[in-house]
This record gives sequence, C-alpha cells and structure tokens, in this order.
Amino acid sequence: MEEKFDYAKAVKELEEIAAKVEDPATKLDDIDALVGRSNALLKACREYLRTVKEKIDKLDKE
Amino acid sequence: MKDYLELSELLARVRESVSDAFPERYWVKGEISSWSPRANGHCYLNLSESVKGKQVADVRAMIWKWNFPQLKAFFESETGQTLQAGITVLVRVQVNFDPVFGLSLFVDDIDPAFTVGEQALAKKKAIEKLTAGGYLEMQQELALPALPYRLAVITSKTAAGYGDFRRHLLENEAGYAFHLDLYEALMQGEQAPASIIAALADAQEGGYDALLILRGGGSELDLSCFDDFDLAVAIATCPVPVITAIGHDRDFHIADLVANRYVKTPTALADLFLDMYAAEDEVLDDLETRIRRAVADRLGGMSQRVDSLVTRIRLGLQARVHAHERVVQEQAAGIRLGLSRKYADLVRQADAAAHRLRFAAGARIGTEISNLALKEALIKASDPRNVLKLGYVLVTGRDNKVLKSVERVSVGDRIGVRFSDGSLTAKVDQVYTENIDKENIA
Repeated sequence: MEEKFDYAKAVKELEEIAAKVEDPATKLDDIDALVGRSNALLKACREYLRTVKEKIDKLDKE
Repeated sequence: MKDYLELSELLARVRESVSDAFPERYWVKGEISSWSPRANGHCYLNLSESVKGKQVADVRAMIWKWNFPQLKAFFESETGQTLQAGITVLVRVQVNFDPVFGLSLFVDDIDPAFTVGEQALAKKKAIEKLTAGGYLEMQQELALPALPYRLAVITSKTAAGYGDFRRHLLENEAGYAFHLDLYEALMQGEQAPASIIAALADAQEGGYDALLILRGGGSELDLSCFDDFDLAVAIATCPVPVITAIGHDRDFHIADLVANRYVKTPTALADLFLDMYAAEDEVLDDLETRIRRAVADRLGGMSQRVDSLVTRIRLGLQARVHAHERVVQEQAAGIRLGLSRKYADLVRQADAAAHRLRFAAGARIGTEISNLALKEALIKASDPRNVLKLGYVLVTGRDNKVLKSVERVSVGDRIGVRFSDGSLTAKVDQVYTENIDKENIA
C-alpha cells in the first residue's frame, strides 16, 4: 500500500466493505474495524486523485 | 524624336489593352490568401492558386464598400462560414489595370455553393478513403484510462488556448493533479499537417495516457490542415488515444472524425479530464455515504435497544429510590422525635444549673455584705474626729501638717491645735524631749 497505491483495487475493497457493513450478519465489533479501514482507503483514494506522481513519470519518460 | 516612352504612356497602353482584352466580367476560382477589410468600408484581398502546396498564381483584388457588406452577409449565411483568408471561392471579377496601383480584380459577386461544394467534395473524398482504409474506427478501439494522468499537448506554444487549457486543468478547484508536457507544432498553414504528424510521432513514445491536439485560439485562418488526409491517417494509427480540440463551431474536421474523441474548446478539453476525476470522486463519496448510512442504521437499531434498556433501568431505579425514601423518612421522623426529647432534657438540665448558680451567688453576696459591715465599723472606730471627742488633740506645724513629734518644733514656732469642736493657735515657749512632766505643763 505504501509503495504502489492501486487505486482500482482500493475502490474495489471499498465496495466490498460497503456490502459487508450493509449485511446484517456482520457483527458490530467487526463494523468498527471496517469503518476504520474504509476511512483510510477513502483518504488514500482522494489523495491519489490529487497527487503528482512524478516518480512513475521519470521511469517511463525518454 | 525621343526614342523612349514615358512610363505613364506605357502603362496607359497596358490599361487600354487590358480593358480591350477583358471587356466582360469573369467567374474565377481562387483561394483567398489575404483578407483585410478597411475602415473606409472597402475590402482588400489577395486571390491565389496553389498546386501541391506551391503557389502558382496570386493577384490583388478588392470589393467596393457598396458591395462588400451584402456580399459578405450572403456568403456567410449560405455557407455557415466566415468569409476570410484560407477559403477557396468562386467570384465574379472585372480585370482592372491602374498605372499607379497596378493590376487588380474588382469583385462584385460570389458563389457560395461553389465553396461549400468544393470543401464538401474534398472532405467527402478524404472520408471515403479513410473509411475504406478502416481508419475511422482505429482510435475508437483505444480506451482512455479511467484516470488519465500523463498528457501530451500538441499545439503552438504561443497559442492563447494552451494557456487557458493549462490553467483550467492544473488550477482546478478540486486539486486534481496532472502531468502535462508540451509538444510544439505549427497549427495553421501549409506546414501544419507535417508539423503535427511529427509531434504525434514524437509524443506517442512518451508513455502518455492521451495526446491532445489543441489549436488554441488565435485567428480562425485556414483550418483546412485539420482536413488533411495524411494527418488523419497519423491520428488514426496512433497507438495512444488522441483527443482534438480544434474549436470550430460550425463544422467538424476530419481530424475530429478519426480521433478518439473531440471537443470544441481548450476549456472543454480540460473539463473532459476534470469531469472524469470528479466522477471518480463521486464514486468515492457514494461509497462513503453507503458505509456511513449502513453504520448509522446499525447503530440506530442499537440505540433503540439501549433506549429501552435505559427506560427499564430508570423505572427499576425509581421504584427502589421510592422505597428507600420511605425508609429514610421514617428514620428521620424517629430521629426528630428522639432529638426533641433530648432537647427537653437539656433544657431542664440548663434550668437546674442556672438555679444552682443563682443560689450559690446569693450566698456569696451575703458573706460579702457582712464583711463590708465589719470593715465599716473598723473604719468608723479609727476616725480622728472620734478620737478628738475622747479628749485628744491634733497639733499642726508651720506647714499646717500634723506634728507627730517635737523633733522639728522650735521655741517661738506658731502651732495649730485642733479639737473636735474647733481649733486654736499657740506659740511654743518650751520644747521638752522624752518624758512629759505634768507639773511643767501645768
């Protein structure tokens, strides 16, 4: 997660979390952890949209 | 005589032969290569002809101010296109030669249908060729990434549109980040197609998510380069999605047709990317909302259960509190009763003590009174006046002080003698110490 942030994967995980939280069978104790994880993913995704990714650029360029 | 001509004579002859040679008005096909309407109302222009990019004819022309507005309006309403340089037109002209201004054509009519047909025909042919070659679908098969980040802009650096695009894209309010590289190319004129093709070839090696062909404002001269067949092929065969923003409202260009997608303006081009990011942001917002709502629903159920528990506990507690209150009240009543008894005892005790005190004090005062009476009797007994009544006298000296001895008394002193009922003064004529001799006194 630190080195190469996979945006698509993060969004997929968020969708899975949403489904889990919506599922009444999910225990309340687990929901706390899921919400924490979703907050971290949302933050990372939003940052990703706003981050200049020059490291990758230099590898590819010229 | 003179073996030469004045220049004016020569040119007068030219004028004559020109007007003889071209007595009528002629319909002529030419490209408007320069165009300058003047403040005085006339319009000056050049008509030219090129063959394979090389100019083979060029002539000055003008439209008189009494023709120009109608002619321009007629052409533009018929073609949907501005009458300007770069357009191939069919015009009716009168050939004119002026000794000072030289050769020029006076334009007095124009055939818009010719221009439309000419362009449409050229375009149609090109499109047919491209379709036959399968070029139209090539770019459509390339997918733009969900979040295009690395972008190459092919444009002329000085174009105002590039600045607009750059600013709009990079200074977006949401803070989305992009990587932008500029590949310079000529965006108008005969050299433009080759220049753009070279830039495309260069940029497609740069690992970009998309290549953007941006005309970027300036004058709308000669857009025909974007209908160029070779450029169309280059765009179609580019392995990276190409997006065009050539910006011509009335018409589309072949470059637009073969590109992955096209927009009108530099701002619209920037919006294309910003919208993709905003859509992604919305996906995130929706997911967040879904998760929040689900959690809120779960917690809502929880809190109802908690509420009913709290109510039950409160009721139970109230009952217990009431019971305790009763006990406490009873105890308090008991305590109050006990206290009042105790208080009465204390009051009684205090009264008794006070009584005892009063009695003791009375006895003490009686004793004091009898002591006082005794002392009074003693004092009375020692009063000098009582002693005087018994026959004693008080003798006072010069200083009127009582004399208690003869020590300081001298013969001749005046002394006072006090009795109980009066006093007298006397003069000392003899002083004796020690035993008083009765006879001597007598």
